[in-house]
Amino acid sequence: MADLKVDFGKFQLKNPVMTASGTFGYGLEYSQFYDISKLGAIMVKGIRSVPSDGNPTPRVAEVTGGMLNAIGLQGPGVEKFLHDEHYLPGVKKTGATVIVNIWGKTAEEYAEVAARLEAEAKNDITALEINISCPNVKAGGAAFGTDPKLAEQVISAVRNATALPLITKLSPNVTSIAEFARIAEACGSDSVSLINTLSAMAIDIETRRTKLANRTGGLSGPAVKPVAIRMVNEVYKAVKIPIIGKGGICNGADAVEFMIAGATAVAVGTANFVDPYVPLQVIDFINDYCDRHGMKSVSELTGSLLN
Amino acid sequence: MPNCTLISNERMHGQYFRAVFDAPEIATDATPGQFVHIRIDNRLDQMLRRPFSIHNALDGKLTIVYKVVGKGTQTFSELPAGSVCDILGPCGKGFSAPAGDVIPVAVCGGYGAAATFMLTRQSKNGGVLLLGARNEKDILLTQEYARAGFQVKVATDDGSMGIKGRVTDLFPELLKEYQGKKLFFYGCGPHPMLMALAKLLREKSLDGELSVDHIMCCGVGACFGCVVKVNDHAHPGEWMYARSCADGPVFKLADIYTE
Ligand SMILES: Cc1cc2nc3c(=O)[nH]c(=O)nc-3n(C[C@H](O)[C@H](O)[C@H](O)COP(=O)(O)OP(=O)(O)OC[C@H]3O[C@@H](n4cnc5c(N)ncnc54)[C@H](O)[C@@H]3O)c2cc1C
Ligand SMILES: Cc1cc2nc3c(=O)[nH]c(=O)nc-3n(C[C@H](O)[C@H](O)[C@H](O)COP(=O)(O)O)c2cc1C
Ligand code: FES
Repeated sequence: MADLKVDFGKFQLKNPVMTASGTFGYGLEYSQFYDISKLGAIMVKGIRSVPSDGNPTPRVAEVTGGMLNAIGLQGPGVEKFLHDEHYLPGVKKTGATVIVNIWGKTAEEYAEVAARLEAEAKNDITALEINISCPNVKAGGAAFGTDPKLAEQVISAVRNATALPLITKLSPNVTSIAEFARIAEACGSDSVSLINTLSAMAIDIETRRTKLANRTGGLSGPAVKPVAIRMVNEVYKAVKIPIIGKGGICNGADAVEFMIAGATAVAVGTANFVDPYVPLQVIDFINDYCDRHGMKSVSELTGSLLN
Repeated sequence: MPNCTLISNERMHGQYFRAVFDAPEIATDATPGQFVHIRIDNRLDQMLRRPFSIHNALDGKLTIVYKVVGKGTQTFSELPAGSVCDILGPCGKGFSAPAGDVIPVAVCGGYGAAATFMLTRQSKNGGVLLLGARNEKDILLTQEYARAGFQVKVATDDGSMGIKGRVTDLFPELLKEYQGKKLFFYGCGPHPMLMALAKLLREKSLDGELSVDHIMCCGVGACFGCVVKVNDHAHPGEWMYARSCADGPVFKLADIYTE
């Protein structure tokens, strides 16, 4: 039995396996299957200052090796998230470790959401994940994550607004993801998580229309994993802050690959839709892997790439 | 989340198949209108689960009636008896049981008829099935409903079976025949049919519940991929999105938003 605890400096997790924002609802949706407090953390769906409708439908389309989504960050808004039993209060009753994914249309809005979450629920929230990388909303997502100046503004604004640990979620839709990781580190982010989805499109050839109403969407699932592994390794070499790796993790071996590339922890996304139990299987696999390789602590795995 | 063994998987006619699974955990809990979310295969081009209405759940057996429309349902139709599928369910909110002395009227389009079948077991007063489809090839389950004590009326676009027209064109006859009786409507079919049905029911001050059919992803309320517009009762005249998998697939007529 290896020591599965992971250390992010300002916070620790019981194990390195989380569930990715937007793929695990607010947690309760999956607590019907197992005890979600067994997870390292759950990263809830993006929250902003006010409720938002999201994009028109269809919002999802299956593609080989994964799916496209253009949900457009539908959500209840911070007020309801903080006080309605379907959201934070309900999830906390399960004992789960919660990381809140936040977004806004302006840097000020990101800061406002962060400040409110800290003011009203700092003991219930382990960290904030700043989503500057959703490809499916014009203002708020992609723009902040692909423009270095805007990224700096948002991360700094959130940093000034809260003492909660911050994780910046990076977009893969850039030429150099390492550049954005350095910006996050310089602006006081305690960790980076990557990757968000890859901007993509699929067309129905019979109707000659895009499969998503939003035209484009984000690609996720096993098809993106090699891209994500490369990016995690690039970022690992560029910054000192810990990395949360994600993108196409379907099983324990995928997760171990991310950790060898440099991730301190991982998150399971699209695979939850296929099999809700994948995150638990990943935890067991990592434990066995460490035992098999004579590692006493899972932290020995991080960045253990030999060439 | 049980792994269920396929007991039989046979073609009914044309593109329609009936699959029976050994699924005691799911079959015990299921109510009419709920669905199961099936992982048909683990092929990389069909990773996601596919939703199917629970047609019947009896004696530990789960029956699905499905139409082959694409790659997932094609793969499904090729699975031999003895195959094992990972099935989530029962999922979603189903129909409420016919109350008191009401006569349930199922109004269905195509494979929508699969979703309302278990109402035949709940009703003490018989009932009616109004079934619409493009042509006779898409008419299914009529004998099963008749055997279960439901009167069956059919409409096809081309008149190859029943009256020529839409399922809503069966209403004048129905309302005449059942004048003075308390009817409650259960709708299931493609979106345009449901919209027409909702408008007609409102026009005639009739009530019911409608089951929507929307592309799904997680099937458990986590991804917001399956949303449909419902009336926002807090802001009359406005809509909001509800998750068809978790808040539905069955919605009260009062919730159904029509443009
Ligand atoms: C709650 C619910 C209950 C359902 N019950 C039944 C049932 O009892 N019997 C049955 O035959 N089918 C049912 N369906 C529809 C069924 O899920 C789809 O036909 C199936 O997912 C298509 O998979 P495919 O891989 O064959 O098609 P794909 O190759 O994925 O797509 C082929 C075509 O089917 C369309 N399609 C995909 N998903 C859906 C969907 N959910 N609804 C309508 N069209 C879709 C696609 O847009 C495309 O045009 C139900 C759907 C829902 C949401
Ligand atoms: C349906 C869906 C919704 C998502 N919603 C969000 C979101 O609200 N916020 C966010 O930061 N990322 C969101 N993501 C991105 C995932 O968290 C994750 O970064 C990405 O899907 C890659 O991981 P995967 O391949 O394992 O799914 C979403 C992804 C999917 C598939
Ligand atoms: S399919 Fe995911 S919320 Fe309904």
